[in-house]
Amino acid sequence: MAEIVINGLTKRYPNGFEAVKDLTLDIGEGELLVLVGPSGCGKTTALRMIAGLEEISDGDLYIGGQRMNDVLEKDRDIAMVFQNYALYPHMTVAQNIAFSLKIARRPRAEIKRRVHETAQLLAIEEMLDRRPKQLSGGQRQRVAMGRAIIRQPQVFLMDEPLSNLDAKLRVQMRGEIDALQKRLAVTTVYVTHDQVEAMTMGDRVAVLRDGKLQQVDTPFQIYERPANLFVASFIGSPPMNLAEAAIKQTKDGLTVSLGEAEIAIPHELAARNSLDAWVGKSVIAGIRPEDIYEVTRKTAKLQAAMQVKIDRVEALGASLLGYFSVDAAAPRAESVSAIPAEEVLSEAPLTGTSGTSFCAIFEPRAMLKIGDTTEVALDLSRLHFFDPETDASLLAEDEPEKKKKPEAKKK
Amino acid sequence: MTATPTTLPASVPARSRPGWRRVKKARAPAIKYTALLIFAVIILMPVYILIVTGFKGVAETDPAHAWALPHLWTTSAWRQAWDQLSPNMMNSLELAIPATILSTVLGCLNGFALSKWRFPGANIVFTFFLFGMFIPYQAVMIPLTELLAKLQFPAQLPRLALAHIIYGIPITTLIFRNYYATIPEDLMESSRMDGAGMLRTLWSVVLPISVPAFVVTMIWQFTSIWNDFLFAVFIITDPSQYPVTVALNNTTGSLVSAYDLQMSAALLASLPTLVVYILLGRYFMRGLMAGALKG
Amino acid sequence: MKNIRRWGPGLLLVSPSIILIAIFVYGLIGWNIKVSLSNWRQAQPTSHYAGLGAYRDLAHDAQFRLTLAHLLIFTIVFALGTLIIGWTLALLLDKGVKGEGFFRAVYLFPMAISFIASGIVWRWLMNPAPGDRTTGLNALFDKIGLHSLSNQWYLNDHSVVFGIRSWGMAAMALPAIWALSGYVMALYLAGFRGVPEELREAARMDGASELRVYRHVVFPHLKPVTLAALIIIGHISIKVFDLMVAIGGKQWFTQTPAVYMWIQIYDSSDYAKGAAIATLLLLLISILVIPYLIYTVRAERRS
Repeated sequence: MAEIVINGLTKRYPNGFEAVKDLTLDIGEGELLVLVGPSGCGKTTALRMIAGLEEISDGDLYIGGQRMNDVLEKDRDIAMVFQNYALYPHMTVAQNIAFSLKIARRPRAEIKRRVHETAQLLAIEEMLDRRPKQLSGGQRQRVAMGRAIIRQPQVFLMDEPLSNLDAKLRVQMRGEIDALQKRLAVTTVYVTHDQVEAMTMGDRVAVLRDGKLQQVDTPFQIYERPANLFVASFIGSPPMNLAEAAIKQTKDGLTVSLGEAEIAIPHELAARNSLDAWVGKSVIAGIRPEDIYEVTRKTAKLQAAMQVKIDRVEALGASLLGYFSVDAAAPRAESVSAIPAEEVLSEAPLTGTSGTSFCAIFEPRAMLKIGDTTEVALDLSRLHFFDPETDASLLAEDEPEKKKKPEAKKK
Repeated sequence: MTATPTTLPASVPARSRPGWRRVKKARAPAIKYTALLIFAVIILMPVYILIVTGFKGVAETDPAHAWALPHLWTTSAWRQAWDQLSPNMMNSLELAIPATILSTVLGCLNGFALSKWRFPGANIVFTFFLFGMFIPYQAVMIPLTELLAKLQFPAQLPRLALAHIIYGIPITTLIFRNYYATIPEDLMESSRMDGAGMLRTLWSVVLPISVPAFVVTMIWQFTSIWNDFLFAVFIITDPSQYPVTVALNNTTGSLVSAYDLQMSAALLASLPTLVVYILLGRYFMRGLMAGALKG
Repeated sequence: MKNIRRWGPGLLLVSPSIILIAIFVYGLIGWNIKVSLSNWRQAQPTSHYAGLGAYRDLAHDAQFRLTLAHLLIFTIVFALGTLIIGWTLALLLDKGVKGEGFFRAVYLFPMAISFIASGIVWRWLMNPAPGDRTTGLNALFDKIGLHSLSNQWYLNDHSVVFGIRSWGMAAMALPAIWALSGYVMALYLAGFRGVPEELREAARMDGASELRVYRHVVFPHLKPVTLAALIIIGHISIKVFDLMVAIGGKQWFTQTPAVYMWIQIYDSSDYAKGAAIATLLLLLISILVIPYLIYTVRAERRS
């Protein structure tokens, strides 16, 4: 068990392409850090640099205080779980699990004992004599885990270990890996493109895009306080609704005009986002689908309401997703994660509606149909604002109540 | 028209199919089989001649009985061929077995390093090897015989074996490299993460799953070395060390009409490769594919 | 440095072969060129530089020019024959027939036999003897009433076509076609089978007849196979030696440059001239193979 310190880690290929750019991260002892991002964001390359499978072009890597840049992968005391498991096809499960110990020339009795313990831990004892070909996907996954666990290494690296499993098994294994990691308390770096995995498993989540670190924080903070448009749109499903909006000064305070709606901004929210500086300018306003309500008897107090026409409905059972168009420009396609930039075919969506499509999570029994007009309200305290030029969140770096409280105690 | 059967989508009802089409459909496989059989007969024709003539007595090998079966089956030609060729067949075995094994081992090491334990410039090295597969060996033959003559080998056969090992490197490397290209990269990485170095990875992870490549390469090399004439005729000057191809050419070349002996000798000299081929033909086919720079 | 610790062992593993290939392929090619430029034109080796004398001799050597004409005709007939037959066999087998394994094995088995051994049978089959001594294929033709097909085989040199009196070489290509058609079939069969079944199905769903599926979907996929087959057959053809020796010995009517080189060395002890012929053969093959190798390695890197 050791902490990992990554300082300015860069991967540059001979053709000049930088897969990972100046990545700086501290991963605490026993922590499970998830590296998440869309495909091609450099997360696997970063993991492979930690593993030693990929040369580090620039920057430093320390594991347990020791600089590892020039240490061969086999001497780093790291175990890795591969996306395709990489089980040795000619070896039995027991031999697969024991391989690293055999190479380390551990006594035979010890190997036997540890294989047994590991198998017990993973409930694969009956499979020890089988070959990888005779196992199901989930069983192979466990063997791959076993091969990593048995070494009791300083660090676990996991490269999309669940992406080859079907959806239900993935949920189950997610929980198992998480529990196992907590129990063994081995520092773990976990790579995934699946934001649900990232949110559910990570002690902290690091979001990468185009080789650059976007934000690293606890899942809660990443969700509640996304640092920029990309993180806001990448984390959360359905993603945050985002559209251009203008900030105006009225006699009662600031308002934000989102399409036809003119919404008064609570003072505290305006202050937190320093919106005074944006009066008369455009920002990108964001609201998560679950923060949009259908106006009924119960809800309608402070929230700004707007009339919307439902263009599409997705009944998911536990909830009902309603889509409607807001007459405001969408943020630049390259700023958000929804679709990779090269896949954007045209500005206008196929539905033919103008403006920006918003999604709201309604009550499952909302009984809404396509074409219905309804009134929705936004939970104003949960509005997000972003700089349309830099994509950065306007939320002040230091949230007053969070930073000041401990200080006050000290005084 | 093509001889392949025309398959209609299953959804088309049978009665809507034009009648002529149904006729053609029935006839197509027959035409196809006839064509395939004719080709097979043509290709087997020399074998018929080899066997039939080999069992004839000298008297029957005259033009009048050219294509007929022997009236009197006799093995005298076979015995004569065996007496003449058996020492040379032993030479060929002594040559082909070690040369096959060594060139295969080299090919395995090279193929592994060039595809799974790569170093900068591995592709250039591979191209540099590959060209050696295509060169006409005549272009190295004069200096090669001179150079080998200078080596202090007690006998000539090891010199020939050395030549076969060296000039076999390109093809054996190619076969192994193409085979290893199909092994997932993460198996190597996993082994490295498990703490294994290169030799350990080769020995414990790669070799146990290389059996098909070994079989293909060894069949290919054994066949090539057994059948080689060019290297042998240049390098071997001592008749007692002639491999079977050279001996066969000398025996039959000097005879004008003893067809029974010629044919039985030719078949006898081809038996080892034929046996290998009949037993392991499937792998042979795979070897051919690899030889075509595929994969 | 970590770099070299990572890839050093791999290079070390290949280095014996690199050294062997460097010496025995590239070094000896250089040495051979040096011999071709020397005055080693007798049994006693000498290594004095003598310029292009041997090459000049070859340019004026009518027999050498004839061997080049032989090689040209042999190559054309050999390549066309193997490609057409190999392609046809692959097409016949493509859809899968009962006994495919048997047919494949039969078509391929000549690959396992040396040209020295098969040459003996083919010398008998293509026996040009006339009259009472008619045997081999000519006898077979007579027997089945196709006397008009009887011919002089490799002695067919009397007809002058394109100014070349060497059409016997076309007959010499028959054993080579016999030996390697199966090989080309194997290449084409792999090519046919490499066309994704979905592509064929998509074309059928688009209403294409089976003929059109082949014409527009399958055949365009075979271009790389044809190129590979041409390169392989071409280089085998340029190197061909033992087949000629087995059938014609050292006689002029089956001489190719490779045989002529052997004769120069063994009968005339003209090493410089032999080396010059070998160098020209290498040049010929390089023109054929080097662009192909570059193309192949590049294509592989792209994928």
